Amino acid sequence: MNQLRAELLKIRSTRTSIGLLLGLIALALLFTILTCTLSAQAQIVGEQNQISLLSFGSIAGVFAALAGIMLFTSEYRFGTIRPTVLFNPNRSSLFVSKIVAGALSGIVFGIIGEGLVFSLGVAILKARGIPIAMTGANMTELIVGAILGTALWGAIGVGLGSIVPNQVGAVIALLAWGFVAENLVFGFLPKVGRFLPVHASDAMMGPIQPQLLAGNVATVVVVAWTLVLAGAGVIMLRRRDVS
Amino acid sequence: MGPIHFVESPAIEGENVSYVVQSDSLSKRYGKVLAVDDLSFKIEAGTITGFLGPNGAGKSTTLRMLLGLAKPSSGHATIFGIPYDQLETPALRVGAVLEATDFHPGRSGRDHLRMLSRAVGLPDARVDEVLSLVELHDAAKRRVKGYSLGMRQRLGLAAALLGNPDLLVLDEPANGLDPEGVRWLRDFLRDFALGGRTVLVSSHVLAEVAQTVDQVLIINRGRLVTESTLDDLTARVGGAVRVRSPQLDQLDDALRREGIVTSRSNDHALLAQGTTRERVGDIAFAAGAAIYELATEGSSLEEIFLDLTSVEATP
Repeated sequence: MNQLRAELLKIRSTRTSIGLLLGLIALALLFTILTCTLSAQAQIVGEQNQISLLSFGSIAGVFAALAGIMLFTSEYRFGTIRPTVLFNPNRSSLFVSKIVAGALSGIVFGIIGEGLVFSLGVAILKARGIPIAMTGANMTELIVGAILGTALWGAIGVGLGSIVPNQVGAVIALLAWGFVAENLVFGFLPKVGRFLPVHASDAMMGPIQPQLLAGNVATVVVVAWTLVLAGAGVIMLRRRDVS
Repeated sequence: MGPIHFVESPAIEGENVSYVVQSDSLSKRYGKVLAVDDLSFKIEAGTITGFLGPNGAGKSTTLRMLLGLAKPSSGHATIFGIPYDQLETPALRVGAVLEATDFHPGRSGRDHLRMLSRAVGLPDARVDEVLSLVELHDAAKRRVKGYSLGMRQRLGLAAALLGNPDLLVLDEPANGLDPEGVRWLRDFLRDFALGGRTVLVSSHVLAEVAQTVDQVLIINRGRLVTESTLDDLTARVGGAVRVRSPQLDQLDDALRREGIVTSRSNDHALLAQGTTRERVGDIAFAAGAAIYELATEGSSLEEIFLDLTSVEATP
């Protein structure tokens, strides 16, 4: 618990997290305002279209993962890993604290990201006189899925940061995977690609595009990815010398 | 900078401990390079030990193994009788500064200390205490990126002192300090050790720590070269005295008759080994030899250090 309090203070005491949060807010506002006001009416009527449109809050997952990556890589980059491990030589407990801190900040990113997209998007649709076709269950899945998915991405980021302690390397790995590699796999082999973490976490928000997994299966898949990365991360932290 | 005061630390209870730090055949191999080679030493409570050797001798690697940051390839190390990472809340027993620059530049000095103190459940009040101790109170809320090197060194020291430890481990703490900073550090370490606490301080420059330490461990190429008190080391050097005189042969004979080993330097001066200026002066007076110059060879301690550490590692 002490270590978790230390990790949360680390997140709050630099400008990195607030910068990521501002980036997320700017992107969410820009996307929602542009698509909801400029899209032709035909593209934003109906349940499926509206779920897809309002699922943009899932972009919070990228920001949460970046924040999670920073939890380890900035310690290696600036050398604070040395005092951190000296003050808590139990590396497993240190790792768990960082994973929890990453997930908690992910929840904040998810609430802000999807909260903005959803509330602003619905408001604009209503203002344009477009009826909301989503059911209450759709909306719940969209919001809960986004928040839970973003929390898991925060934890995945922590695991990745422990596996790849080089900050630039870890960020490039995340972005190359999320924006290139996984889309290629899903494009060519959707039956495989839907099990990969970005597409599975999208599916946690509901049927936002065809060929995705069902929501509950998707949740299990993303949790499994998180556990795999966390497991590899804790092994690396325990084995690696702090030079 | 003002004086520093430490509260006398309570006696160590619990473990039946005779040595604060103990290294048993510690070795560390990186690929083909043997960075630390079968290194054994012990450090008693209440001493200030200089851990010396040229750059790359294996000092930092050894300290990291002592503190559980790096795993030894073989051998083992204990602090207060047990491995560092098995001490209960080691930060309350041991304070360490391994690099002068281990800070996030965008975080304030105070927040750096707060995040560490939280990890061991210390209150923020303790953070303010150590900030005053190292005289950083006024800069505490500024981001570390605006700190001078001396301020960073002191912030690192503040972090090490958070847990009011009985052992302080410092890796090259004088690097980059100005003379005033070096003096401040010296006084600081002396005061720290006064209450029976222990200091292990590494350096690649003997002169930097010669006025502070009680004993030295000298390593080279990962192996222990010398383990001795500073007095013994000084005695071994023997204080060569350099003397110039127009009656050089006469003086040389007189010195030899007194059992003093002499040699001639290139510039026709006489070097008398293992004696003092006073003695040489007296002998010269008795022998009727005029003295033009009489001086102790200044860097003799440094020379023996260089001698010891330039030896090829013995097979």
